[in-house]
Amino acid sequence: MSHRKDAGQRSPAWGQPPSAVRPGAARLSTMLIVLAIASFTALAQQTAVVKPAEDLPPGLMQAKATTSCLECHEARIILQQRLSKATWTKEVDKMIKWGAVVDASNRDALIDYLSSSFSPDRPPYEPPRTSVEKNSLRKSK
Amino acid sequence: MSGAALAASAAPSFFSWAAAAQGGSLEVPVEDGMIVRSFRFVDLETPVEYFNTWLTPVPHFFVRNHMHEPSELNASDLQAKDWRLTVGGEVEKPFTLTLSELSKLETHSVVNTLECAGNGRSLHRPQVPGVQWGKGAVSTARFSGPRLRDVLQRTAVKPAGKHVMFRGLDEVPGKVPPFIRSIPLEKALDSNTLVATQMNGAPLTKHHGFPARALVPGWIGAASCKWLTEIKILESEFAGNFMSPAYRFPNEPVTPGDAVKPEDTHPLTALSVKSVISGPLDGASVKPGKVAVHGAAWAGEGDIVKVEVSTDGGVTWSSASLGHDQAHYAWRLWNYDWNAKGGDYTILSRATDSQGRTQPATPIWNPSGYLYNAIDQVKIHVA
Repeated sequence: MSHRKDAGQRSPAWGQPPSAVRPGAARLSTMLIVLAIASFTALAQQTAVVKPAEDLPPGLMQAKATTSCLECHEARIILQQRLSKATWTKEVDKMIKWGAVVDASNRDALIDYLSSSFSPDRPPYEPPRTSVEKNSLRKSK
Repeated sequence: MSGAALAASAAPSFFSWAAAAQGGSLEVPVEDGMIVRSFRFVDLETPVEYFNTWLTPVPHFFVRNHMHEPSELNASDLQAKDWRLTVGGEVEKPFTLTLSELSKLETHSVVNTLECAGNGRSLHRPQVPGVQWGKGAVSTARFSGPRLRDVLQRTAVKPAGKHVMFRGLDEVPGKVPPFIRSIPLEKALDSNTLVATQMNGAPLTKHHGFPARALVPGWIGAASCKWLTEIKILESEFAGNFMSPAYRFPNEPVTPGDAVKPEDTHPLTALSVKSVISGPLDGASVKPGKVAVHGAAWAGEGDIVKVEVSTDGGVTWSSASLGHDQAHYAWRLWNYDWNAKGGDYTILSRATDSQGRTQPATPIWNPSGYLYNAIDQVKIHVA
């Protein structure tokens, strides 16, 4: 018999803002609405609610990276990478070719921001799961 | 509640992508427990503990989107009235099909294990860019629809036609190259290559390519273009980003971390031989006694002939029993009953296929992290 890890009790991973773990006021109100709907229906169709997006970490280029990168894709795509500066340089230049708006004067700073925030020595990003509660993975002692 | 909230809701559309864009929460109907690699674009990984049924229920089937899903296709419109499939290029007479016309062709079913070429990318060292899939960008379903060759037989392919290009309706952001790929004509004419309209007996869901997708069995998932809208016969392989430089593999083994010149690579086609342990899970604590070590194994265009398990870190190996359910392009579930005594263990699984291929002990590193298929392992504690 195997015992599953409790994904819901993982410590907040580096790269995840506290809001990803601790519901804020907006999340609480959403949850209340969800519970209200649940109380009005006996339907058991279950749905998963996960935080739709995360933030890039603080840094001098946080705002510019948010504008340049998150226009096309969400932050998780970046948060999960662990790459060397040489590889980040290739990625940034590819994205500029693909339409990311990065002022030439900001290119090097953006590469520095990404390669210092998401370097290979950082601990791995812990992705969320949909509907963690239902599949709550409990440790059996 | 923690992490994510669970709701029982009769109004699945209540929370929408629009709400998500405004900073609200996002609802993903019935995809319970899926690992979220990304929502924008949708990339959802199947946890390995779900590898316990031969056919993966559609809500647990991994999702890999390169771009936005087509906004004009509404999966509740089962007729997809405005959808068309055009067939052109090196053919005598180009034509267009509606979904209704497509559905009049004879239906064929193929149980296929679909695996993203990047499955396992996060396990490569040094790490490489891309969606950082763990072990679960792979699932199995019964795909049904007309054979691609029956579609193509409505006209004659000119002698110059050698490759078949698929274009999907993915919505492209910025200047990102469109998701267009091609397969050789020979594979396109194989009796198991489909224009699939169903998965596990139901119409495709939007995440999986509604109303029609290519199904190129045994090959990397990217070959099976979703939201298919155009088939074009070409004289040569399609020249575009998703054929080159993407989805190519070095011709010769490379030292991990080394760059590889484009001319020293070839396009990815069939999947490798591979097994994954779906239980016990890595890091688990189990009680002494009988422990079922189990998982799934697949081999693209090969058949799994053997799965071996080691409970002593690879010193000795024992054969696992293979599940009864089997089909040429589908994974085999496997099980090994182990009499566990107290201690810490590294359990390994190793598959061998009908082409004589065996999983390597060391990952075959490549710059984009494709086709990870090293011997699988989990570490567990017995007490």
